[in-house]
Amino acid sequence: MSKQSRRSEFLSEVGNISAFTGKFFREGFKPRYEWSELFRQCYIIGYESLPLVGITAFIMGLVLTVQSRPTLEEFGAASYLPAMVAVSIVREIGPVITALICAGKIGSSIGAELGSMRVTEQIDAMEVSGTNPFKYLVVTRVIACTMMLPILVVLADGIGLYASYIGVNLKGIVSWNLYTTQVFESLTFSDVMPALVKTYFFGFAIGIIGCYKGYFSNKGTEGVGIAANSAVVVSSLMIFVIDLIAVQIADILGLT
Amino acid sequence: MSTEENIVIRTEKLVKSFGENHVLKGFDLELNRGENLVVLGKSGSGKSVLIKCMVGLLYPDSGLVSVFGKEIPKLTQLELDELRTKIGFLFQSSALYDSMTVRENLEFPLRRHWMHKTKDEVNELVMEALKNVGLERAVDLMPSELSGGMRKRIGLARTLILKPEIMLYDEPTTGLDPITGREISNLIVAIQEKYHTSSIIITHDMECAKIVANRIMILIDGFKYTVGTYDELVKSDDPKIKPFFA
Ligand SMILES: Nc1ncnc2c1ncn2[C@@H]1O[C@H](COP(=O)(O)OP(=O)(O)OP(=O)(O)O)[C@@H](O)[C@H]1O
Ligand SMILES: [Mg+2]
Repeated sequence: MSKQSRRSEFLSEVGNISAFTGKFFREGFKPRYEWSELFRQCYIIGYESLPLVGITAFIMGLVLTVQSRPTLEEFGAASYLPAMVAVSIVREIGPVITALICAGKIGSSIGAELGSMRVTEQIDAMEVSGTNPFKYLVVTRVIACTMMLPILVVLADGIGLYASYIGVNLKGIVSWNLYTTQVFESLTFSDVMPALVKTYFFGFAIGIIGCYKGYFSNKGTEGVGIAANSAVVVSSLMIFVIDLIAVQIADILGLT
Repeated sequence: MSTEENIVIRTEKLVKSFGENHVLKGFDLELNRGENLVVLGKSGSGKSVLIKCMVGLLYPDSGLVSVFGKEIPKLTQLELDELRTKIGFLFQSSALYDSMTVRENLEFPLRRHWMHKTKDEVNELVMEALKNVGLERAVDLMPSELSGGMRKRIGLARTLILKPEIMLYDEPTTGLDPITGREISNLIVAIQEKYHTSSIIITHDMECAKIVANRIMILIDGFKYTVGTYDELVKSDDPKIKPFFA
């Protein structure tokens, strides 16, 4: 493929995703609302991702603590361990790792599900039976992702911090009370707030890109695979882009 | 008999291309009220595309498609949805919703009417539709547990549940054994008589065509090649028509 056509393909993709997002905001807030499908999606997206997110967060918290200790000890700052780990988990590791895990798990499953519904004409069947498939399938999934991701991140943060407590206690003894006091003293509004706000955008990006890729998947079983795969790739990339932008905005607002 | 109000679907000079692939090149069709019109054509000749234009799943490049006198491409989303409740569409691939049971599949088209229907009424409609296709026992199965022919029949039941005034069947008997195929064909005739539906039936199955057709239309190279009754066409010596009845 020539450079030219690849560039124009990239631009048209950006345009299409923007148009798709625009359609979400136009259609999403008009009645009728698909409540039961929304709750079903929240359950699938939130609850069923929990084990994976939990295990990852636990390991990250533990590993981060164990690995940071030698460096801090070198500077005689081992007592800062809980504070340091807490800040890195809450500010960056929790949100980004959770979002990436969800991009892999949720993004691919939405891409594959909608892709196969497109290929087997289920979306067309919905359309002719008078149910707006965009509302029923896309809007519910995007809203569910946007609402569930922050909850998953908060849980992941909690599990990560608990794992870090275990990590701290692998060598030396710090009581739970002391640990939590240190953690909460180290965390400020500007650590928690920007990190929480950006997770909404992570969730939205995962939902909208998974849906876009599946909804416009090409014919054939091959199209389903491509939809699932590119949903993961593009939404993972988007997570880092959003993270970058969020850091800049927080900086401008003085939330550092 | 083809007076204006008797025509429920009309296409004139319908043109539809996909890039370089010119599928329909000016197709004319009239569906009269209460008739069964069979459309024959080779695989890939654009039969599915034709009926998708009639429900607004595809938009023609040019030409006219009107249903009940309303031009499909000019309707708003709301008007189109309204019109679609009167049209049943049986997909070639059945298009059952994988993530739902058979019962939920059948209930799905009723969602917009749920406000006015009690649980019992919905259940009754579901069971009646399943009875029509002889599959009451499948009500709690998932689509993945059904055979191809069963999927087709469930698809048909789902389409019939709203008792549409127009039915568009895309290959209703393909992939079924001859006995079930005949049952479906008879069912199509029974539906026509019972609910006075007007139908377009796309098929390769000549036995089905023979049972259901009031008129048969042949689609060749994007144009309407000919139209006539089964008996007229079966006697034809035209080398382009003969292969269909061989
Ligand atoms: N959404 C689409 N995008 C691009 N091309 C399409 C699309 N739908 C159909 N076509 C093309 O239009 C042509 C006609 O397809 P169609 O599905 O109408 O055939 P058909 O007459 O129904 O054949 P069959 O009997 O095999 O079902 C095919 O060449 C197909 O490749
Ligand atoms: Mg077809």
